[in-house]
Amino acid sequence: MELLIVGGGLAAQRCIEVLRAAGDDRPVTVVCDEPVRPYDRPPLSKEGLLDTIEPSFRPEEWYADHGVELRLGAAARSLEPARRTVTLAGGERLRYDALLIATGARARTLPGMPRAQVLRDRFDGERLRAALLDGGPLAVVGAGLIGLEAAAAARRVGVEVTVIEAAPRPLAGILGPRAGAWLTALHRAEGVVLRTGVTVARDLGDALELADGTRVGAAHVLAGIGVAPAAEWLAGSGLDPAGVAVDEAGRTGLPGVYAAGDVTGSGHWEAAARGGGAVAGALLGRPDRAPGPPSFWSDQHGVRLQCVGDPRGAAEHVVLGDLASRSFELDHTLGGRTAAVLLAGRPPSALRAARARLDPIDTSTRRAA
Amino acid sequence: MSLIARIEDDLCLAHGDCEAVAPEAFRVDDVARVVGETTDERLRAAARACPAGAIVLYDADTGEEVEA
Repeated sequence: MELLIVGGGLAAQRCIEVLRAAGDDRPVTVVCDEPVRPYDRPPLSKEGLLDTIEPSFRPEEWYADHGVELRLGAAARSLEPARRTVTLAGGERLRYDALLIATGARARTLPGMPRAQVLRDRFDGERLRAALLDGGPLAVVGAGLIGLEAAAAARRVGVEVTVIEAAPRPLAGILGPRAGAWLTALHRAEGVVLRTGVTVARDLGDALELADGTRVGAAHVLAGIGVAPAAEWLAGSGLDPAGVAVDEAGRTGLPGVYAAGDVTGSGHWEAAARGGGAVAGALLGRPDRAPGPPSFWSDQHGVRLQCVGDPRGAAEHVVLGDLASRSFELDHTLGGRTAAVLLAGRPPSALRAARARLDPIDTSTRRAA
Repeated sequence: MSLIARIEDDLCLAHGDCEAVAPEAFRVDDVARVVGETTDERLRAAARACPAGAIVLYDADTGEEVEA
Protein backbone atom coordinates (compact mmCIF):
# COMPACT_ATOMS: atom_id res chain seq x y z
CA MET A 1 0.00 0.00 0.00
CA GLU A 2 2.19 2.77 -1.27
CA LEU A 3 1.38 6.29 -0.08
CA LEU A 4 1.76 9.31 -2.34
CA ILE A 5 1.74 12.71 -0.65
CA VAL A 6 1.37 15.85 -2.70
CA GLY A 7 2.71 18.78 -0.71
CA GLY A 8 5.58 18.86 1.76
CA GLY A 9 4.47 20.87 4.77
CA LEU A 10 3.43 20.06 8.30
CA ALA A 11 0.44 17.85 7.42
CA ALA A 12 2.64 15.70 5.17
CA GLN A 13 5.43 15.44 7.74
CA ARG A 14 3.07 14.62 10.59
CA CYS A 15 1.37 11.87 8.59
CA ILE A 16 4.76 10.27 7.93
CA GLU A 17 5.89 10.67 11.55
CA VAL A 18 2.78 8.94 12.89
CA LEU A 19 3.05 6.09 10.37
CA ARG A 20 6.70 5.46 11.13
CA ALA A 21 6.25 5.75 14.90
CA ALA A 22 3.60 3.03 14.59
CA GLY A 23 6.09 0.78 12.79
CA ASP A 24 4.37 1.15 9.43
CA ASP A 25 7.01 0.97 6.72
CA ARG A 26 4.97 1.32 3.53
CA PRO A 27 6.83 3.22 0.81
CA VAL A 28 6.07 6.95 0.87
CA THR A 29 6.71 9.43 -1.93
CA VAL A 30 6.41 13.16 -1.29
CA VAL A 31 5.94 15.46 -4.26
CA CYS A 32 6.55 19.08 -3.30
CA ASP A 33 6.79 22.16 -5.48
CA GLU A 34 9.14 23.86 -3.01
CA PRO A 35 12.82 23.10 -3.68
CA VAL A 36 13.56 22.33 -0.01
CA ARG A 37 12.66 19.49 2.32
CA PRO A 38 9.71 19.88 4.72
CA TYR A 39 10.00 22.66 7.30
CA ASP A 40 7.99 24.34 10.03
CA ARG A 41 6.39 27.71 9.25
CA PRO A 42 5.58 29.34 12.63
CA PRO A 43 9.22 30.40 13.27
CA LEU A 44 9.28 32.27 9.94
CA SER A 45 7.24 35.17 11.34
CA LYS A 46 8.83 34.98 14.81
CA GLU A 47 12.48 34.18 15.58
CA GLY A 48 13.18 33.68 11.88
CA LEU A 49 12.85 37.43 11.34
CA LEU A 50 15.43 38.14 14.02
CA ASP A 51 18.01 35.48 13.35
CA THR A 52 19.17 32.88 10.88
CA ILE A 53 17.20 29.71 11.62
CA GLU A 54 16.97 26.14 10.33
CA PRO A 55 13.23 25.39 10.23
CA SER A 56 13.54 21.92 8.58
CA PHE A 57 11.71 19.21 10.48
CA ARG A 58 14.34 16.56 9.81
CA PRO A 59 17.82 16.29 8.33
CA GLU A 60 18.01 15.12 4.74
CA GLU A 61 19.19 11.61 5.57
CA TRP A 62 16.16 11.01 7.82
CA TYR A 63 13.94 10.65 4.77
CA ALA A 64 16.11 8.03 3.08
CA ASP A 65 16.54 6.22 6.42
CA HIS A 66 12.76 6.08 6.84
CA GLY A 67 11.82 4.93 3.35
CA VAL A 68 10.56 8.31 2.18
CA GLU A 69 11.36 9.54 -1.29
CA LEU A 70 11.32 13.34 -1.55
CA ARG A 71 10.64 14.71 -5.00
CA LEU A 72 11.34 18.38 -4.45
CA GLY A 73 10.68 21.19 -6.91
CA ALA A 74 7.98 19.05 -8.51
CA ALA A 75 4.48 20.48 -8.79
CA ALA A 76 1.37 18.40 -9.34
CA ARG A 77 -0.74 19.39 -12.32
CA SER A 78 -3.81 17.20 -12.01
CA LEU A 79 -5.47 14.30 -10.22
CA GLU A 80 -7.13 11.49 -12.16
CA PRO A 81 -9.08 9.54 -9.51
CA ALA A 82 -10.48 6.95 -11.93
CA ARG A 83 -6.93 5.92 -12.90
CA ARG A 84 -5.56 6.57 -9.42
CA THR A 85 -2.84 8.79 -10.78
CA VAL A 86 -1.40 12.23 -10.17
CA THR A 87 0.15 13.99 -13.15
CA LEU A 88 3.14 16.22 -12.50
CA ALA A 89 3.82 19.53 -14.22
CA GLY A 90 6.39 17.82 -16.45
CA GLY A 91 3.81 15.26 -17.61
CA GLU A 92 4.99 12.31 -15.55
CA ARG A 93 2.20 10.19 -14.05
CA LEU A 94 2.48 8.74 -10.55
CA ARG A 95 0.15 5.93 -9.49
CA TYR A 96 -1.10 5.76 -5.92
CA ASP A 97 -2.77 3.26 -3.64
CA ALA A 98 -3.41 5.99 -1.10
CA LEU A 99 -3.04 9.71 -1.77
CA LEU A 100 -2.69 12.52 0.75
CA ILE A 101 -3.41 15.97 -0.64
CA ALA A 102 -1.44 18.43 1.48
CA THR A 103 -0.64 21.28 -0.87
CA GLY A 104 -1.40 23.89 1.78
CA ALA A 105 -2.39 27.43 0.97
CA ARG A 106 -1.04 30.40 -0.89
CA ALA A 107 -0.80 33.87 0.62
CA ARG A 108 -3.11 36.39 -1.00
CA THR A 109 -1.24 39.16 -2.75
CA LEU A 110 -2.10 42.86 -2.88
CA PRO A 111 -3.61 43.69 -6.25
CA GLY A 112 -1.77 46.46 -8.05
CA MET A 113 1.21 46.45 -5.72
CA PRO A 114 3.84 44.07 -7.09
CA ARG A 115 6.53 45.20 -4.64
CA ALA A 116 4.46 44.09 -1.64
CA GLN A 117 5.85 40.79 -0.44
CA VAL A 118 3.99 38.03 1.40
CA LEU A 119 5.23 35.82 4.23
CA ARG A 120 4.38 32.23 3.55
CA ASP A 121 7.48 30.20 2.69
CA ARG A 122 11.03 30.25 4.02
CA PHE A 123 12.26 32.33 1.10
CA ASP A 124 9.62 34.97 1.91
CA GLY A 125 10.96 34.90 5.46
CA GLU A 126 14.54 35.44 4.31
CA ARG A 127 13.43 38.28 2.07
CA LEU A 128 11.56 40.03 4.89
CA ARG A 129 14.50 39.54 7.24
CA ALA A 130 16.75 41.21 4.66
CA ALA A 131 14.24 44.06 4.40
CA LEU A 132 14.32 44.52 8.19
CA LEU A 133 18.12 44.51 8.18
CA ASP A 134 17.98 47.13 5.44
CA GLY A 135 15.98 49.31 7.84
CA GLY A 136 12.52 50.80 7.59
CA PRO A 137 10.06 52.01 7.41
CA LEU A 138 7.99 48.86 6.93
CA ALA A 139 4.32 49.04 6.04
CA VAL A 140 2.27 45.95 6.90
CA VAL A 141 -1.09 45.62 5.21
CA GLY A 142 -3.39 43.47 7.32
CA ALA A 143 -3.50 43.08 11.11
CA GLY A 144 -3.81 39.31 11.18
CA LEU A 145 -1.44 36.97 12.99
CA ILE A 146 1.26 37.17 10.32
CA GLY A 147 1.14 40.96 10.08
CA LEU A 148 1.14 41.46 13.85
CA GLU A 149 4.00 39.03 14.44
CA ALA A 150 6.03 40.65 11.67
CA ALA A 151 5.33 44.10 13.14
CA ALA A 152 6.50 42.88 16.56
CA ALA A 153 9.70 41.49 15.01
CA ALA A 154 10.28 44.80 13.22
CA ARG A 155 10.12 46.69 16.53
CA ARG A 156 12.50 44.18 18.11
CA VAL A 157 15.13 45.21 15.57
CA GLY A 158 14.27 48.91 15.83
CA VAL A 159 12.49 49.24 12.49
CA GLU A 160 9.66 51.78 12.16
CA VAL A 161 6.49 49.92 11.29
CA THR A 162 2.90 50.85 10.45
CA VAL A 163 0.15 48.25 10.29
CA ILE A 164 -2.82 49.16 8.10
CA GLU A 165 -6.06 47.27 8.67
CA ALA A 166 -9.38 47.77 6.91
CA ALA A 167 -11.36 46.32 9.83
CA PRO A 168 -11.90 48.42 12.97
CA ARG A 169 -9.45 46.33 15.03
CA PRO A 170 -6.64 43.77 14.72
CA LEU A 171 -7.50 40.06 14.36
CA ALA A 172 -11.09 41.09 13.73
CA GLY A 173 -11.80 37.86 11.86
CA ILE A 174 -11.17 35.80 15.00
CA LEU A 175 -11.29 37.91 18.15
CA GLY A 176 -13.79 40.36 19.59
CA PRO A 177 -13.57 44.07 20.41
CA ARG A 178 -12.09 43.74 23.91
CA ALA A 179 -9.24 41.49 22.77
CA GLY A 180 -8.81 43.77 19.78
CA ALA A 181 -8.51 46.85 21.97
CA TRP A 182 -5.95 45.07 24.14
CA LEU A 183 -3.90 44.05 21.08
CA THR A 184 -4.05 47.60 19.76
CA ALA A 185 -2.75 48.97 23.06
CA LEU A 186 0.00 46.34 23.22
CA HIS A 187 1.31 47.16 19.76
CA ARG A 188 1.08 50.91 20.27
CA ALA A 189 2.96 50.64 23.58
CA GLU A 190 5.75 48.88 21.68
CA GLY A 191 5.96 51.60 19.06
CA VAL A 192 3.89 50.05 16.27
CA VAL A 193 1.73 52.57 14.43
CA LEU A 194 -1.60 50.82 14.00
CA ARG A 195 -4.05 52.35 11.54
CA THR A 196 -7.43 50.60 11.62
CA GLY A 197 -10.61 51.16 9.63
CA VAL A 198 -8.69 52.41 6.60
CA THR A 199 -7.48 50.89 3.35
CA VAL A 200 -4.52 51.53 1.06
CA ALA A 201 -5.35 53.74 -1.92
CA ARG A 202 -2.07 53.65 -3.84
CA ASP A 203 1.62 53.02 -3.74
CA LEU A 204 3.79 56.13 -4.02
CA GLY A 205 7.02 54.17 -4.27
CA ASP A 206 8.51 55.03 -0.89
CA ALA A 207 5.18 55.49 0.90
CA LEU A 208 1.59 54.32 0.77
CA GLU A 209 -1.29 56.70 0.41
CA LEU A 210 -4.28 55.60 2.44
CA ALA A 211 -7.94 56.07 1.52
CA ASP A 212 -8.22 58.99 3.98
CA GLY A 213 -5.41 60.84 2.18
CA THR A 214 -2.75 60.26 4.84
CA ARG A 215 0.65 58.82 3.94
CA VAL A 216 2.57 55.99 5.54
CA GLY A 217 6.32 55.57 5.05
CA ALA A 218 7.03 52.31 3.24
CA ALA A 219 10.53 51.38 2.12
CA HIS A 220 9.19 47.83 2.25
CA VAL A 221 5.63 46.50 2.16
CA LEU A 222 4.36 43.24 3.64
CA ALA A 223 0.91 41.95 2.73
CA GLY A 224 -0.63 39.81 5.47
CA ILE A 225 -4.15 39.54 4.14
CA GLY A 226 -4.86 35.87 4.47
CA VAL A 227 -4.44 32.72 2.45
CA ALA A 228 -6.39 30.65 -0.03
CA PRO A 229 -6.17 26.84 -0.41
CA ALA A 230 -3.61 25.80 -3.05
CA ALA A 231 -6.02 23.43 -4.70
CA GLU A 232 -6.41 24.75 -8.27
CA TRP A 233 -4.61 21.65 -9.53
CA LEU A 234 -7.59 19.58 -8.38
CA ALA A 235 -9.95 21.18 -10.90
CA GLY A 236 -11.75 18.44 -12.82
CA SER A 237 -10.95 15.74 -10.25
CA GLY A 238 -14.31 15.91 -8.51
CA LEU A 239 -12.78 17.66 -5.48
CA ASP A 240 -13.44 21.33 -4.81
CA PRO A 241 -10.52 23.47 -6.01
CA ALA A 242 -11.67 26.18 -3.58
CA GLY A 243 -10.85 23.90 -0.64
CA VAL A 244 -11.08 20.14 -0.18
CA ALA A 245 -13.86 18.91 2.11
CA VAL A 246 -12.84 16.09 4.47
CA ASP A 247 -14.24 14.07 7.35
CA GLU A 248 -12.59 13.70 10.78
CA ALA A 249 -9.99 11.30 9.43
CA GLY A 250 -9.19 13.43 6.39
CA ARG A 251 -11.13 11.27 3.89
CA THR A 252 -12.36 13.05 0.78
CA GLY A 253 -15.22 11.67 -1.26
CA LEU A 254 -12.77 9.83 -3.55
CA PRO A 255 -11.53 6.28 -2.86
CA GLY A 256 -8.08 6.22 -1.27
CA VAL A 257 -7.80 10.01 -1.38
CA TYR A 258 -7.23 11.99 1.82
CA ALA A 259 -6.49 15.66 2.48
CA ALA A 260 -5.14 17.57 5.46
CA GLY A 261 -3.96 21.01 6.46
CA ASP A 262 -4.54 24.37 4.86
CA VAL A 263 -5.72 22.86 1.56
CA THR A 264 -8.88 21.89 3.46
CA GLY A 265 -9.35 25.50 4.56
CA SER A 266 -8.53 24.58 8.16
CA GLY A 267 -6.29 27.57 8.87
CA HIS A 268 -3.90 27.11 11.76
CA TRP A 269 -0.81 25.02 12.49
CA GLU A 270 -2.65 22.86 15.01
CA ALA A 271 -5.28 21.84 12.48
CA ALA A 272 -2.62 20.75 9.99
CA ALA A 273 -0.80 18.75 12.67
CA ARG A 274 -4.01 17.05 13.74
CA GLY A 275 -5.15 16.51 10.17
CA GLY A 276 -1.92 14.84 9.07
CA GLY A 277 -2.00 12.63 12.14
CA ALA A 278 -5.65 11.75 11.58
CA VAL A 279 -4.92 10.58 8.01
CA ALA A 280 -2.10 8.39 9.30
CA GLY A 281 -4.53 6.98 11.86
CA ALA A 282 -7.01 6.13 9.12
CA LEU A 283 -4.28 4.48 7.02
CA LEU A 284 -3.28 2.44 10.08
CA GLY A 285 -6.89 1.33 10.52
CA ARG A 286 -7.29 3.11 13.85
CA PRO A 287 -10.79 4.21 14.85
CA ASP A 288 -11.64 7.84 14.09
CA ARG A 289 -11.16 10.25 16.96
CA ALA A 290 -13.30 13.29 17.54
CA PRO A 291 -11.12 16.32 16.92
CA GLY A 292 -10.14 18.44 19.92
CA PRO A 293 -11.17 22.09 20.08
CA PRO A 294 -9.50 24.39 17.56
CA SER A 295 -6.58 26.34 18.95
CA PHE A 296 -3.84 28.73 17.97
CA TRP A 297 -1.01 30.57 19.62
CA SER A 298 1.03 33.65 18.82
CA ASP A 299 4.04 35.43 20.28
CA GLN A 300 3.98 39.23 20.07
CA HIS A 301 6.26 41.66 21.91
CA GLY A 302 7.31 38.96 24.35
CA VAL A 303 3.72 38.07 25.25
CA ARG A 304 2.40 34.63 24.46
CA LEU A 305 -1.22 34.53 23.32
CA GLN A 306 -3.08 31.25 23.41
CA CYS A 307 -6.59 30.60 22.28
CA VAL A 308 -8.64 27.41 22.57
CA GLY A 309 -12.10 27.00 21.14
CA ASP A 310 -13.82 29.21 18.60
CA PRO A 311 -14.14 32.80 19.88
CA ARG A 312 -15.91 34.17 16.81
CA GLY A 313 -19.02 36.12 17.66
CA ALA A 314 -18.85 35.27 21.38
CA ALA A 315 -19.15 37.69 24.32
CA GLU A 316 -15.88 38.43 26.11
CA HIS A 317 -15.53 38.26 29.91
CA VAL A 318 -12.32 38.92 31.81
CA VAL A 319 -12.05 36.13 34.39
CA LEU A 320 -8.50 36.75 35.59
CA GLY A 321 -6.07 39.66 35.46
CA ASP A 322 -7.04 42.78 33.58
CA LEU A 323 -6.85 44.12 30.08
CA ALA A 324 -4.60 46.98 31.14
CA SER A 325 -1.87 44.41 31.85
CA ARG A 326 -0.08 41.77 29.80
CA SER A 327 -1.52 38.85 31.71
CA PHE A 328 -5.19 37.92 31.62
CA GLU A 329 -7.75 35.25 30.81
CA LEU A 330 -10.68 36.17 28.63
CA ASP A 331 -13.56 33.69 28.48
CA HIS A 332 -15.84 33.77 25.46
CA THR A 333 -19.46 32.76 25.91
CA LEU A 334 -21.98 32.09 23.21
CA GLY A 335 -25.50 30.78 23.74
CA GLY A 336 -24.83 30.02 27.41
CA ARG A 337 -21.72 27.93 26.79
CA THR A 338 -18.02 28.71 27.11
CA ALA A 339 -17.00 28.62 23.46
CA ALA A 340 -13.39 29.76 23.77
CA VAL A 341 -10.74 31.09 26.13
CA LEU A 342 -8.03 33.56 25.20
CA LEU A 343 -4.97 33.67 27.44
CA ALA A 344 -2.20 36.26 27.45
CA GLY A 345 1.01 35.80 29.37
CA ARG A 346 -0.33 32.85 31.36
CA PRO A 347 1.52 29.70 32.45
CA PRO A 348 0.99 26.22 30.94
CA SER A 349 -1.32 25.11 33.77
CA ALA A 350 -3.69 27.97 32.86
CA LEU A 351 -4.00 26.65 29.32
CA ARG A 352 -4.86 23.19 30.61
CA ALA A 353 -7.46 24.69 32.95
CA ALA A 354 -8.87 26.77 30.08
CA ARG A 355 -9.35 23.65 27.96
CA ALA A 356 -11.15 21.99 30.83
CA ARG A 357 -13.71 24.80 31.12
CA LEU A 358 -14.71 24.77 27.45
CA ASP A 359 -18.14 23.30 26.96
CA PRO A 360 -18.09 20.43 24.51
CA ILE A 361 -19.05 21.32 20.96
CA ASP A 362 -22.13 19.58 19.65
CA THR A 363 -20.68 17.79 16.65
CA SER A 364 -23.79 15.75 15.83
CA THR A 365 -24.96 18.17 13.16
CA ARG A 366 -21.48 18.56 11.70
CA ARG A 367 -20.95 14.84 11.45
CA ALA A 368 -24.20 14.43 9.61
CA ALA A 369 -23.24 17.13 7.13
CA MET B 1 13.70 21.14 44.40
CA SER B 2 14.01 18.42 41.86
CA LEU B 3 11.46 18.32 39.08
CA ILE B 4 10.02 15.53 36.97
CA ALA B 5 8.36 16.24 33.60
CA ARG B 6 5.43 14.32 32.23
CA ILE B 7 3.84 14.88 28.84
CA GLU B 8 0.08 14.86 28.47
CA ASP B 9 -0.28 12.80 25.30
CA ASP B 10 -3.80 14.07 24.69
CA LEU B 11 -2.54 17.65 24.57
CA CYS B 12 0.82 17.18 22.85
CA LEU B 13 0.69 18.18 19.20
CA ALA B 14 4.44 17.68 18.68
CA HIS B 15 5.18 21.35 18.12
CA GLY B 16 8.82 20.54 18.91
CA ASP B 17 9.59 23.48 21.18
CA CYS B 18 10.53 21.28 24.16
CA GLU B 19 13.20 19.49 22.13
CA ALA B 20 14.46 22.82 20.79
CA VAL B 21 14.82 24.14 24.34
CA ALA B 22 16.13 21.00 26.06
CA PRO B 23 17.17 18.31 23.55
CA GLU B 24 18.84 16.34 26.34
CA ALA B 25 15.45 15.82 27.99
CA PHE B 26 12.86 15.68 25.18
CA ARG B 27 12.54 14.04 21.80
CA VAL B 28 9.70 14.78 19.41
CA ASP B 29 8.59 12.34 16.72
CA ASP B 30 4.87 11.81 16.35
CA VAL B 31 4.52 13.13 19.91
CA ALA B 32 7.03 14.42 22.45
CA ARG B 33 8.66 12.00 24.87
CA VAL B 34 10.85 12.47 27.92
CA VAL B 35 14.17 10.83 27.02
CA GLY B 36 16.60 12.13 29.63
CA GLU B 37 17.28 14.40 32.52
CA THR B 38 18.17 18.05 32.74
CA THR B 39 18.16 20.89 35.21
CA ASP B 40 14.95 22.17 36.79
CA GLU B 41 15.46 25.50 35.09
CA ARG B 42 15.62 23.90 31.64
CA LEU B 43 12.57 21.76 32.37
CA ARG B 44 10.68 24.91 33.36
CA ALA B 45 11.83 26.68 30.19
CA ALA B 46 10.69 23.74 28.05
CA ALA B 47 7.31 23.60 29.79
CA ARG B 48 6.81 27.33 29.28
CA ALA B 49 7.82 27.09 25.63
CA CYS B 50 5.21 24.43 24.84
CA PRO B 51 2.39 26.12 22.89
CA ALA B 52 0.00 23.34 23.92
CA GLY B 53 0.74 23.44 27.64
CA ALA B 54 1.34 19.69 27.41
CA ILE B 55 4.32 19.42 29.77
CA VAL B 56 3.36 19.00 33.41
CA LEU B 57 6.03 19.38 36.09
CA TYR B 58 6.00 17.56 39.44
CA ASP B 59 8.09 17.89 42.57
CA ALA B 60 10.08 14.65 42.70
CA ASP B 61 9.89 14.55 46.49
CA THR B 62 6.24 15.30 47.13
CA GLY B 63 4.67 14.29 43.79
CA GLU B 64 2.81 17.61 43.77
CA GLU B 65 2.25 19.43 40.51
CA VAL B 66 4.50 22.48 40.23
CA GLU B 67 3.89 25.62 38.18
CA ALA B 68 6.36 26.02 35.32
